[in-house]
Amino acid sequence: MTQPAVHVPASMRAEVKSLIVHRLRRAHRDPDSDHKHPVNQAHYDEATLGERLADQLSGALGSWPFIITQTSLMIVWVYFNVWGIFIAHWDPYPFILLNLVLSFQATYAGPIVLLAGNRQSQKDRITLEHAADESDKGEEHITRILTEIRKNTELTLQILGELEAEPT
Amino acid sequence: MSVESAVTTARERLASQHKHPVNQLFHDEATLGERVADKAASGIGSWWFLGIQSVFIAIWISLNTFEFLTHKWDVYPFILLNLAFTIQAAFTGPVLLLSGNRQAQKDRLRLEHTAEVAETAEKATLEILEEIERNTVATLQVLEHLRKRRAARGT
Repeated sequence: MTQPAVHVPASMRAEVKSLIVHRLRRAHRDPDSDHKHPVNQAHYDEATLGERLADQLSGALGSWPFIITQTSLMIVWVYFNVWGIFIAHWDPYPFILLNLVLSFQATYAGPIVLLAGNRQSQKDRITLEHAADESDKGEEHITRILTEIRKNTELTLQILGELEAEPT
Repeated sequence: MSVESAVTTARERLASQHKHPVNQLFHDEATLGERVADKAASGIGSWWFLGIQSVFIAIWISLNTFEFLTHKWDVYPFILLNLAFTIQAAFTGPVLLLSGNRQAQKDRLRLEHTAEVAETAEKATLEILEEIERNTVATLQVLEHLRKRRAARGT
């Protein structure tokens, strides 16, 4: 009987690992791609209208274009109210209206942050529930393996008995 | 470059890189905007920032309240300081969301990685089970063979 070649399990093969990284990179840069994990599917692909809106809102408010636009508008506002010519200074120093506008933004930003946070914590809850299901499945597999090895050991012991009974 | 220093350089490079694929994609391959977002979030959310802000406020209020040799530019009720606070809050909100969005993205990526790994791990587990079953069949054949041999000898 020939010795079988060293057999690396599928999960440890290098090409499988690099394939996983390749797929992950694609998923990372394309948020609209279909998700593989059931929790991601439930969270993103099956989101309700309100949830999609919440994601888009927090995505838009927490983005560089928003921050850059806000900064530019602030600079323009202050510039026109201090050095603006051919234009009425609608909010002179100390810029009380600008203060109101920015307070208004902060008043909405707070709840939107919580909206996004609540959605994340909901996802965390589903993730744990899913992990519990998966853990049950893993236990079932381990039980099957253990049963099979026990059976194997019993047979080996019987063989030992047969060999011991043989006349030497 | 000597061999020894080449090895050391390689080690340093390895030490700075992440081992987990999600960390590699997320941190080592982050774009410029993402790197700046991480820096901004960790800058605002630090004791250094809180400390400097508190000192700054204390100095502002002191200079505008007590008699110093300086010109008072924002007397009680500190309207300009109020504007400064509002501007800080107006930027903190978006930066908070920026960092939160990035964390959510990482969570998404981590789950995708878990799904991939779970799939291959399940395959490996079934492979192990199959191999043990094959072993059981072989052991059974050995047993049968021994029994037949004993029967033929008539013991």
